[in-house]
Amino acid sequence: MANLKEIKLQINSVKGTQKTTRAMKLVSQAKLKRAEELAKRSRIYAQKLDELVSEIAYEINTSKVGGAESRFVQADLPVRTVDMIVITADKGLCGGFNITTLKTTLRMLKEYKEKRVAVRLRIVGRKAIDFLKYNGIEMTDEIIGLSASPDYKQAAEFIDQSLMDFAGGKTDRVILIYNGFKNMLTQEQRVLQLMPVDISTVEPRELKSTIEYEPEEQEELLNTLLRKYAEYSMYYGLLDSLAAEHSARMQAMDNATNNASERVNELTVAYNKARQESITTELIEIISGVEALK
Amino acid sequence: MDTMKLEIVTPHGQIFSGDVKSATFPGAEGEFGVLPEHASLVSLLEAGVIEIEKADGNVDSIVIDSGYVKVDENKTLVVVEGAVPIVGETESDMARAIKEAKELIKKASNSDFAIANVEAKVETAAKTRF
Repeated sequence: MANLKEIKLQINSVKGTQKTTRAMKLVSQAKLKRAEELAKRSRIYAQKLDELVSEIAYEINTSKVGGAESRFVQADLPVRTVDMIVITADKGLCGGFNITTLKTTLRMLKEYKEKRVAVRLRIVGRKAIDFLKYNGIEMTDEIIGLSASPDYKQAAEFIDQSLMDFAGGKTDRVILIYNGFKNMLTQEQRVLQLMPVDISTVEPRELKSTIEYEPEEQEELLNTLLRKYAEYSMYYGLLDSLAAEHSARMQAMDNATNNASERVNELTVAYNKARQESITTELIEIISGVEALK
Repeated sequence: MDTMKLEIVTPHGQIFSGDVKSATFPGAEGEFGVLPEHASLVSLLEAGVIEIEKADGNVDSIVIDSGYVKVDENKTLVVVEGAVPIVGETESDMARAIKEAKELIKKASNSDFAIANVEAKVETAAKTRF
């Protein structure tokens, strides 16, 4: 009989878990809608800003016109120190979402170590911070709460620190790593080089003229444009990451709910079997008792 | 080539994309026009009106607050912070667009001259449509 009770308890506990996972799925579903909408609207702007900046950088690099002295556009900068900005979620229970990003980070850390390049880690999101702390990896900067509710001003402040160090020559490259939203079912690992501006994406072409700048203090113009670019890339990264997080969690929780249903079915079968068994045993006992009395 | 590609994007999405004959921008150092085959140029934009002459000869006006434009021989890319296109099927739609545009410009600029200039342009643009 104890067995029966145990199974009953187990069924109830699985059902309780299922309730939680189902609720979490619904919450993520609702949040995903909003996050996806936000990311979708910003996507074109981020892409065009990227296009604009990388084309300018390409032209500066190819024809060495005004602005070439700016560190931000020097494609062939020797790399000694790298600033790695990693975005993960604050919460878990979203499948491999955080792990994928952390694995990429560790792989890149190893690669840079082999090349004897120093890496500074600037981390957004509790999950990555906990993971790195546990593994004894040093971080330069950490921030919690930003990945759950992206805010332009906060994102800009965070990236400005990197830009300042880059401009001052403390770092030679700024990289952004996060898991982006591809569609409802898949996330995509994104590794972007923010600074110096990545020109490998620009289609090579013949330039007929050099760039003119207006107002003519091109340095100032370029710097504000590049800052805007970096800030928006960071902000968009956060939005994209948030949408991806919710889609990953929705999927993970959907799977969990299905698994729980399966488990409840299995346990119910086991429960019925056990009940039948005990009834059979009881009957046999009664019958054999009656037989013995004859 | 008598047209060029023009794209205008804001953080809230793309508001114009297509082939145009010419476009006028409110540059930081004064208004300037761009025709196809224009030399490469990067310019800061101030609060003002972008006027676009489309391939079919119609003129569109878009009020912007601030941004950047990159012109090159066959493509012009504009990224702006906020923009209100002066379009509308009916007069009430148009009136709403004009009102929004005026609010945008008041928020973006503190020079009375610039504001008056934009308002005048917007109203002319609206009048030519009806």
